[in-house]
Amino acid sequence: MVTPSLNFGSLALEMLLLFSGIFLFLVDHFMKNKNYAFWVSVLTVIASLFILLFIPFGDFTKAFRVDFYSSSIKFLLTIGFFFLLFLSYPYLKTFSALNFGEYYGLLFFSLFGAYVMISSQDFLTLFLGLELMSVSLYFLIASQFLYKRHALEGSLKYFIAGAVSATFYILFLCILYYATGSIYFEEVIKKLSQGHLRGELLVSFVFFLGAFSIKLSLVPFHMWAPDAYESSPLPIVVFLAGIVKFALLAVLIKVLILAFSPLKLELGKLIIPFALFSILIGSLLAIKQDNLVRLLAYSSIAHMGFAVLGLTSGEFSGYGFSLFYMFVYLFTTIGTFALLIYFIKINTHLLNINNLAGISKDFPLCSFLFLIFLFSLAGIPPTGGFMAKFYIFVMLIKAKYIAVALLALLISVIGAYPYLRVIKVLYMDEGLIHYKKKSFSILLTLTLIVATFITLLLGIYPKPLLDFIQRTLFLYLSLQFFQF
Amino acid sequence: MEGLGILSAILWLPLLGILALFLIPREKEELIKLITLITVLLDFILSLILLLKFDYSNPAFQFVEKRPWLDIINSFYFLGVDGISILFVPLSTLVTLLCVLISWYSIEEKIKEFYLALLFTNIAMVGVFISLDLLLFYIFWEALLIPMYLIIGIWGGPRRIYSTIKFFLYTFFGSIFLLVAIIYLFLTFGTFDYTFLVGKALPFHVEKLLFLGFLIAFAVKVPMWPLHTWLPDAHTEAPTAGSVILAGILIKLGGYGMVRFLLPLFPQATLFFAKLILILSVIAIIYAGLACLWQEDLKRLIAYSSVSHMGFITLGIFSLNPIGIKGALLQMINHGIVTGALFMCVGVIYDRTHSRAIKYYGGLASTFPLYAALFMVFTLASIGLPGTNGFIGEFLILQGAFLKDRFLVVLAATGVIIGAAYMLWLYQRVFFEKPSAGVYNLAPMRWNELTALISMVFLVFLIGLYPNPFLDLMRVSVTKLLTNLP
Repeated sequence: MVTPSLNFGSLALEMLLLFSGIFLFLVDHFMKNKNYAFWVSVLTVIASLFILLFIPFGDFTKAFRVDFYSSSIKFLLTIGFFFLLFLSYPYLKTFSALNFGEYYGLLFFSLFGAYVMISSQDFLTLFLGLELMSVSLYFLIASQFLYKRHALEGSLKYFIAGAVSATFYILFLCILYYATGSIYFEEVIKKLSQGHLRGELLVSFVFFLGAFSIKLSLVPFHMWAPDAYESSPLPIVVFLAGIVKFALLAVLIKVLILAFSPLKLELGKLIIPFALFSILIGSLLAIKQDNLVRLLAYSSIAHMGFAVLGLTSGEFSGYGFSLFYMFVYLFTTIGTFALLIYFIKINTHLLNINNLAGISKDFPLCSFLFLIFLFSLAGIPPTGGFMAKFYIFVMLIKAKYIAVALLALLISVIGAYPYLRVIKVLYMDEGLIHYKKKSFSILLTLTLIVATFITLLLGIYPKPLLDFIQRTLFLYLSLQFFQF
Repeated sequence: MEGLGILSAILWLPLLGILALFLIPREKEELIKLITLITVLLDFILSLILLLKFDYSNPAFQFVEKRPWLDIINSFYFLGVDGISILFVPLSTLVTLLCVLISWYSIEEKIKEFYLALLFTNIAMVGVFISLDLLLFYIFWEALLIPMYLIIGIWGGPRRIYSTIKFFLYTFFGSIFLLVAIIYLFLTFGTFDYTFLVGKALPFHVEKLLFLGFLIAFAVKVPMWPLHTWLPDAHTEAPTAGSVILAGILIKLGGYGMVRFLLPLFPQATLFFAKLILILSVIAIIYAGLACLWQEDLKRLIAYSSVSHMGFITLGIFSLNPIGIKGALLQMINHGIVTGALFMCVGVIYDRTHSRAIKYYGGLASTFPLYAALFMVFTLASIGLPGTNGFIGEFLILQGAFLKDRFLVVLAATGVIIGAAYMLWLYQRVFFEKPSAGVYNLAPMRWNELTALISMVFLVFLIGLYPNPFLDLMRVSVTKLLTNLP
């Protein structure tokens, strides 16, 4: 057992985020020129990348640990977050009524929560991080209530779903504590590996999974997602669909490995129906959507289904493939939303698919990039989306879940249709309105270049990233193994 | 294996063209066409060099390139050609070249996107024929859907959107079974390496399932009856170049896949299912042939004739003897040339009259004589008149199938007669009879159309009169292929 010590060095990254957030909140009132908030955020993120590279591994009390896995996940998240900032700036310029400092401050609080969650070593700290991450989001989703009629509705829905999720989680904690007398991962797994309590813990895990399904918007707890996404500012959708879910998945994997690994096969089976129904319902409901954000919300539900399919086998290569899937999805989403932000800069009605008809004539490059992202979302080679799905299927068939793999694949044929429909509208329909071109900001351009590059590169040569992810998991596991 | 092999060069040369096109502003249309033409021409020349350097007495894979690609799942960048695939490489590049020519004036909007899509198609087509790693094969196989979806959907006819989405979902649906089967093979033997997988024994029930997984994907592409319904729509609504690629290469991928993968990888299951596929082939031949007689749309008629002809090809493949398979392989090349040329011919008059209805035409022979002569050549080749390439292929196939099952051959041979009936009747309705109002004052044929069609005429007679070199190319490989069958 590692002796608890107050090693504040391990908290450096979280402290930085927290102080940046507070700083942005406090200073914002006195600043006339709001651009500073963006630059402070960018500096913070760059500083956190450096911290992540050099931070020594260690514990802060028993509850919080910086290790290779958590640092790597944070590193990937921070890169995503960096481009999220790039999206936020042009978006906020377009809708200047959002208060800049608060927006970035809340984002940092939320990210702070996500990082606490990723580093947590017990279920209570995990809960703290989870709620911290969500609370800021309730504000952020509603932050455009002056523009969007449904902003408050979306936020409230997310809030209520979050409350239910918290209830589930508390129930889980109660049962867990009743059964094991502890909330620490290490002690839970000790109790489990002694062979007792499997039944109790299985029951508790159902509630745990319920809580996480709500946050991951898995069917049947997906109802909040389309409304919340539609009412959010666009960069917040990326945050919700990409970064938050990436973090949640990483934590889920951590819990599965560290606390529940003796039960992982049973738990994997428990996940399958959630995953399959998410893919099915997400794909089916995406077909009829006219609003692009809603379409992407349903597609995100389906994608989360695919991502958690990787957890079903209980092998850690499967966990790695899940993370890989999420990373590909994160960057595809970033690219897609970069385009959407450009579109609404041209005209706010362009979020409706029908208004995009024939837009490829006036905006050939944008449409082409959109095409790449859409094919990646549909999972057609040579894009990252294909590789991500491919590895998930390899893993499923390896685990002898052939029927599951076939079902998921069959549904993914349906799932391709919504994207094909968007491409059809972009390229094949006759456009009636000609929109005037607007200048492309440098930040958006940069984001788009990186997102396209990553989407295509991961489709052709995903090896480096996969190796990296597998190494984090492997080292992590061997570290844990060593402690027994 | 040092440096860049010729196969990689053929495969990736169009990528240079794509990059060049990206840099050219879209207003410079002539330059865009010219660069595409030069790229595909160079690619075609390279593939001819490949053909000349190919050693036809060697049954092994040649020009092999093997580099590590995805270590984590033991997948390689593994290219190579043998007698089965060698002819398809020049065919692919030739078809793309002709597509560029034939589209020179007929594609008027989104020109840059069109030529980008064509070049991308070229990469994917060649990639399918030369990859020996199953995962790599699948990637090219699927990637081909992207440009085809766009080519049909953007530059197609009135019902293009329905057709292209149908085409996409149909083939995507077929491919998923292929994907599962490939992954299963990988997990059983730990590799995607085709050369390693050949001759590895599997339990019979597994083999049957995997065979079906591969078969569904190939059957959709071929397309075999009853999975053919996407094809008439897609062929009909596609622009000329799209139809030519579909008829010339895309549906050959299915036949190629059968010869390349089904026979060597699953010999037991092949024998088990051969009868079924032979019956389906004969149904396709007769059913599609009869369906041709009903058609009132030029392109739709030729599309259905494709289904019928592809029935001959699957018949040849699953007669499982050297003659039948050689015939099928040669017939795939022939069908690519002849049907591709027929679609080009339809494109020629469609560009002038904007009508595909057979009723609209009549008496073209007197108002457009050169065109009528060219069309006649391809009509006769499609029927399989001796002296044209269609005869050699069909004859070999029927001969091969005769050794396997006489009764079915008798039925299949009626397909030849039906073929003659619908093609000649088509020719009569379009070219003879009283000239209709729409066929006067047609613009003379342009240089690009003449070049494309005349080169096709040349090939029709070259293979028709002297098929030996082509058959020699595939002989050793086909013999080796059949040694795997029990």
